[in-house]
Order: sequence, then structure tokens, then C-alpha cells
Amino acid sequence: MRQFRKIFRFETVNLLTKKVYIGVTLFLIAVIVCVTFFPRVAALFADDEEEQSGTAEALLVAGVPEGGEETVRQVFSGAFPGAVVQIRNDVPNRDELDGLLTDGGISCAFLLDGWTSYTYCVENLSMYDYNTTVADEALQTAYRMNALTASGVPADEAANILSTPVTHETLAIRAVQAENYLYTYVMIFALYIVIMVYGQIIASNVAAEKSSRAMELLITSVDPLSMMFGKVLASCLAGFVQLAAVFGTALVCFRLNASEWEDLPVIGGLFNIPGGLFAYLLLFFVLGFLFYAFLYGAVGSTVSKLEDANTAVMPVTMLFVITFVVVMTGISGDAMIDGTMMRVFSFLPFSSPMAMFARIAMGQVAVWEIVLSLSLLTASVVGVGVLSAKIYRVGVLLYGARPKLRDLLKAVRNA
Amino acid sequence: MELQFRNICKSFGEKRVLREVSFTAEGGKAFGLLGRNGAGKTTSIRILMNVFPADSGEVLLDGEPIRREIRTFGYLPEERGLYPKKKVLEQLTYFAELKGMARKDAIRAVDGWLERLGMADCRNKRLDTLSKGNQQKIQLITALAHDPPIIILDEPFSGLDPVNARLLKDVVREEIARGKIVLFSSHQMNYIEEFCDSIAILNGGKVVLSGNLQKIKRAYPRDRLTVRSRQCGEICALLGERCTPDGPDGLLIRLDSPDDKPEVMRTLTERFDLDELRVFEPSLNDIFVSCATEKA
Repeated sequence: MRQFRKIFRFETVNLLTKKVYIGVTLFLIAVIVCVTFFPRVAALFADDEEEQSGTAEALLVAGVPEGGEETVRQVFSGAFPGAVVQIRNDVPNRDELDGLLTDGGISCAFLLDGWTSYTYCVENLSMYDYNTTVADEALQTAYRMNALTASGVPADEAANILSTPVTHETLAIRAVQAENYLYTYVMIFALYIVIMVYGQIIASNVAAEKSSRAMELLITSVDPLSMMFGKVLASCLAGFVQLAAVFGTALVCFRLNASEWEDLPVIGGLFNIPGGLFAYLLLFFVLGFLFYAFLYGAVGSTVSKLEDANTAVMPVTMLFVITFVVVMTGISGDAMIDGTMMRVFSFLPFSSPMAMFARIAMGQVAVWEIVLSLSLLTASVVGVGVLSAKIYRVGVLLYGARPKLRDLLKAVRNA
Repeated sequence: MELQFRNICKSFGEKRVLREVSFTAEGGKAFGLLGRNGAGKTTSIRILMNVFPADSGEVLLDGEPIRREIRTFGYLPEERGLYPKKKVLEQLTYFAELKGMARKDAIRAVDGWLERLGMADCRNKRLDTLSKGNQQKIQLITALAHDPPIIILDEPFSGLDPVNARLLKDVVREEIARGKIVLFSSHQMNYIEEFCDSIAILNGGKVVLSGNLQKIKRAYPRDRLTVRSRQCGEICALLGERCTPDGPDGLLIRLDSPDDKPEVMRTLTERFDLDELRVFEPSLNDIFVSCATEKA
């Protein structure tokens, strides 16, 4: 235990003081800050622009059918608030139009061809010009109002009918699927990234120790179980410190800017994970991390050269990627979340951290299923941990060509 | 203190690596474990340090099965290796702590050794910035800092320049004088001959020769003479086929029987101008070559 503590401390300090670790963490924090503050900053600039353009805008609607002038004026004035709307029955020719748009104080013109089609004319078409979208709707309203008044409905009443808004409220009896989906997605993705990154780090650390032959000395100084658990738990801690820093920053920045994000309640939902679910998340996250970290560590101790570590971990990585794809597909459809595939995957130790968490968050899971899945996973973590320590111990004997799995297991049995 | 290897056997799969290996190393003396590559030296060392267990046989310390505590052994492996990117003090302290020392004691011991080996200025340098010889001295500290009673040195002199080799010799002598068991494994016979009182030669996993080095040498028949003279030609003409050249101005003379020695010696001193004349005693190198090349 004392040795475990020393190894744990040494490895943790190693990881936390690595320049790349600090750099990546700071970079992620900076990205989070930029993203969460973006609407606030963007709003500052947006306000200025509106003040400048609001008064200056003047638009021309030409070719308006006889008798429809008042309707068109009313509708376009509503659609372009603050704009001066000029109405004409005739359509100006090209030269006149050029003159109006360049020096005539008109910022854009809509040349109608009946009630349902028009040509939009503007001097320079900007990338952010949404006037046609607004005009489409305005003209459609004008057409309907015209039709209603033509069939005897008074103009005011017609306007009321067309502009009556529909309101709605949402009552979700169980969880809000969209919010659940988002944080399930984000958490599974985070687990995926963290395991991938830290798995590789563990594998290459062990491989580096072996290729630098420091392992030769370590294996004669400490028991391999302390060594393996010390290493893996240290990287687990480093991973969680990084995640906590990133998600903590996200949470704080989001709270500071909550008002700016009101339009996107889904984002808010990301930070409103129910407590119970969060506990499951942590549990599955830690166990899943440990399971794969031990596997990566074991694989790292079978290679002699650091360069071989990347190819050696391929089978573990493939297993993990397949799990990720299956679970991601599983959570994308209502029917699939509790389907056979997801059920099976939620009990297999290599996939249960993702699959069972997804099912708890988004599907219907019985308590016994969770207990069974967690027990299987915990037992596997211990099993894989002990096995990886044994492989680590015999790994020091296996220099040269990488051993086949069968030879490796034989060596573990013999040692 | 007495360390005994008794009938140790070890196989990896079908391959029998050690067969009934037995030898004894005593405290206050150095013991040489010799053998060609693949003879089983490193496997023996690993069994001693419990990296893996023996299939059969036992390791005894003072007649009792050895209790391997983390401080028992100091090990300088043949394949040197520490953390190249870590600072010297940091990693030496870590290794000493792994050997059960408290942090403060570990730092004090490491500093003492750095001073002793003339490397105090390397304390805060990264290992990979040091020369090979200095890295080797750092590695030696990992074997000694925790003051183990049994020190295992695998090829300790390889890569050291003569000045550093002398420093290491002094250190080893001090440790021996403090009553420790020092186990050498090396191919450099001159060093073994210089330090070790007893040896065991392994060949194909078996001990083919073991015991006190002087006794081993004396056990060889004293039926050859070494001669140095500028009159080698004349000596050969007189003694014929019994002479074989042995370096420049040197001859090795085989006697028909050790009893002929006084007679032949007298004849040679009376008739020729000799620079050297003595009974040939095989060097450890000769003994090793003859033992290790025999089919196991």
C-alpha cells in the first residue's frame, strides 16, 4: 500500500506537470470560454448595427396590382420595421432602377409579378441578406389578405385573422428526451475521448518504461499490482482533473451567460443532469476508464519499443470504437435504446459503461439490470487489473518480437 | 551472512533454463556468477529477487528460507535504464522510496552518494543530459542508496572509463568491507579475478564449476611452465614438441610429469638467459573458456 501511494504520487505529478497536459487543458478552457461568451460579445456588435441601419432603410415595392396598395404597404411596413416603404403600380425600367438603388435613397426594391412572384433588386447582395425570406412571408400575407378582402371580409378583420399567433406549452411526463439525448451524447463522447487519449498515454508510458529498461529495476523493487494500479489510477485522476477543469469552466461560464442562451434550452439542459443520474455517470465513467486503462497498460507492457505501442493497442481500440458506434447508433433512435443490441451491450463489461449509462439516461431499465451490469463491470475491472499486473510482470521478460496472445497467457501461467 | 542457492530448477515452457543450480555466497566477500550469454545468470538473479519463483529448489539466507523484504536487495541490471527525461535527484529519491525509505532519508542518502561519486553538480540535471559513464553511476546509486545487505551487480564495469572503474572498485570494496554479500555477474574476467573469492560458472543452465577461486586454480595440474626469454628458439630446439609459443618472447612448456619440474627448471636456468620462469597457473579466463565451451 505504501508503495502504491508512492507510485501513485510519482505518476500523478508526472502527468499533471507535463507541458502538453497543461497546454491542452488551458486550450480547452479557452475554447469553452470563447464559445459561452460568444452570444454576449456578438450582441454588443449586433446592437450597434441595428441602430445605424434602422432609420436609413427605404424600400420600394413596384408592380403592385391595382387596389392592393394599402395591403402591401401595411404588410411590408410590419415586416420591415422602421423602413420607409414606397409603393408603385408600374415597374421601373432598368436605368431608373439603377438610379434609385445607387443615388435614389432606396436600399432595395421588390418588383412584383402578380401576387405570388417577384424580383428582388439590391445594389450589393450581402452574405447576411435575409430580405427575401421576410418578403416571401410578407407577400404571402398580402396575397391572403387581398383574397380575404376580395371575398368580403373587412381589411382589419382579415389582418387580425392572419396575424393571430398560436401559443403552446410543453409538459413532459418523464424526461425531456432532447435534453437527455444531449448530455448522454456529450458524456459518452467525453468518455470516448478520455479513454482514447489516456489509454494511449498509459500504453506508451508503460512501453517507454520497458524500452528504457527502467522496468527492469521497477519489477525488482515493487510488486506489479501496486505498479499497475498506481499508474492507472494516477492517469484516471489526471483525466478527471482535466474533465473537471473543462466542465467546471463550462458550467461557470454558462451560468454567467445563462440569459444569452435562453433561446437554446437544450444547452441549459446539459447542465441540469439529475443528481442520481450524475452519480451513475461517475460510477460508469470511472469503472469504464479503469477497465480500458488496464487493458491498454497490459498491451503496453508486451511491446519492446515505443513505436510498436500504437499498433499493439489496435485490437483494444477497435473493440472500443465498435462499442462507441453501436451505442451512438443506439441512442439516436427511440426504438433502439432498449433494443436487443443495446441490452446485450449494457451487460458486457467492455461496453456497459457507455451502453448502460445511455439506457439509464434515455431508456427503461430495471434496478436489477443496473446492479447486474455494475457487478459484472466491477468484477471485470478487478480481473483485468490483476491480469494486467501479471502481464506487466512477465512483460519484462518478453523482449524482441511481440508475443502472440497464447504465448503471453502461457508465460503468465508459468511465471 | 550466507546466501545459498540449493538445487534451483526453472523452465520456461519446454525450455529448461536452470538445472539443479547450487552455489553459496558469503557476507564480506564477493561472489562471481559467470557464464556465457543465455547460460542462466539473469534467470538465477531474477529468482533470487523473486521476480518469478523457481520450479523447485530453495534459496536460503543463513540456513533459513530467505525472507525477501523490499530493502534486501540492491540491483544494478545489465540493461541499464532509468527515466531519461526525469531529473537525477527526483528519480533516485523515487527509487529509494520504493525501496522503503522515508522521503527525507532517501534525499539524504542520495545526496551522500552523489557526493561520494563526484556527481553533486548533476543533482538537478535531466538524466539524458549526462554522459554514459555518469548515467551508469546514477544507476549504481539506485542499487546502493537504501543500504541493502545483498548487492547484485550485473556487468558493473561495462562502459566505465578507467577513472570511473577505479571509483566503482573502491565503492565495491567498501561495501564488501561492511560485511555485505556482493554478487557479480560479468564477462570481464579480470574484474572478477580481482574481487571475487568464490565463483560459479554456469553453462547451459548447469553449474559446471564452483567454489573458492584460489582452490580452483590450484586444483589444476601444475604440469606446465611459463618462460620468457630472448632465446626461445634455442629452448625449443632443446625441448622439441613440448614447447608451444605463448606471446612474443614467451613459451609454454608441458612437462611429462609434475615431478620433472625441478630438473627442467634447473636445466633452463643454467643454460639460458631467462627473464621469467614460473609454474603456469590458469587465469580465470582460461578456466572460463574451458568450462563454458564444454557441451552442457
